[in-house]
Amino acid sequence: MSGATTAAYLARRAAQKERVRILYRRALKDTLNWAVHRHLFYQDASDLREKFEANRHVEDLDTIDKLVAAGEATYDKWRHPDPYIVPWAPGGSKFTRNPVPPSGIEIVYDYGRENND
Amino acid sequence: MALRSAVLRYIRVPVQTLTATESKPQPQWSLRASLRLFSSHDVHLTKEEVIDRVLDVVKSFPKVDPSQVTPNVHFQKDLGLDSLDNVEIVMALEEEFKLEIPDKEADKIDACNLAIEYIYNHPMAG
Repeated sequence: MSGATTAAYLARRAAQKERVRILYRRALKDTLNWAVHRHLFYQDASDLREKFEANRHVEDLDTIDKLVAAGEATYDKWRHPDPYIVPWAPGGSKFTRNPVPPSGIEIVYDYGRENND
Repeated sequence: MALRSAVLRYIRVPVQTLTATESKPQPQWSLRASLRLFSSHDVHLTKEEVIDRVLDVVKSFPKVDPSQVTPNVHFQKDLGLDSLDNVEIVMALEEEFKLEIPDKEADKIDACNLAIEYIYNHPMAG
């Protein structure tokens, strides 16, 4: 039924591929959060890549959907409670630390001249 | 404008030796020194620096042939990489430039020139 390369099939495959890429990206960042030391990170990253490569040649759309959903569930389970976020990004430590002051506000420099009109 | 560009670059004074027959040569001021700037965000990256660092990151990727990397190369078509390798390269670029790229944007970075454009236009690229 879904063997022909119709537009709907291709659209669904493309959406699935995007989900897989985003899942891989988040899982890799999470791996970096857990395994801070670089040699441990490289080992864990290769293991993650092996898991993704094992399911590379699956063709059936429903199986792919189930695998991606299972992968996302595993990712949710393993998420780090205190991830490293770049300081200026939302969630980081410098986010909105120095917001731009609203326009129209000025500082009036009149030191020493306050009561001498 | 010239002052601004002079302030934004760095100063390096090369050592020059004068021979007896030559007249005094013009000092070549390629401005590259340590200038203390008191505002936190006046120093944006120049395009050559961005290109150099991006190409270094791509060349040091183990599955990539370093001789084929140019600023216009496409990761999947020209270098023969995978979409997952693409994700890894984008992550390496994020680590190099201390950026945080949103997932949707990161998905679209497919080639070197896109990466260079994005990083050069990002206000917080370090």
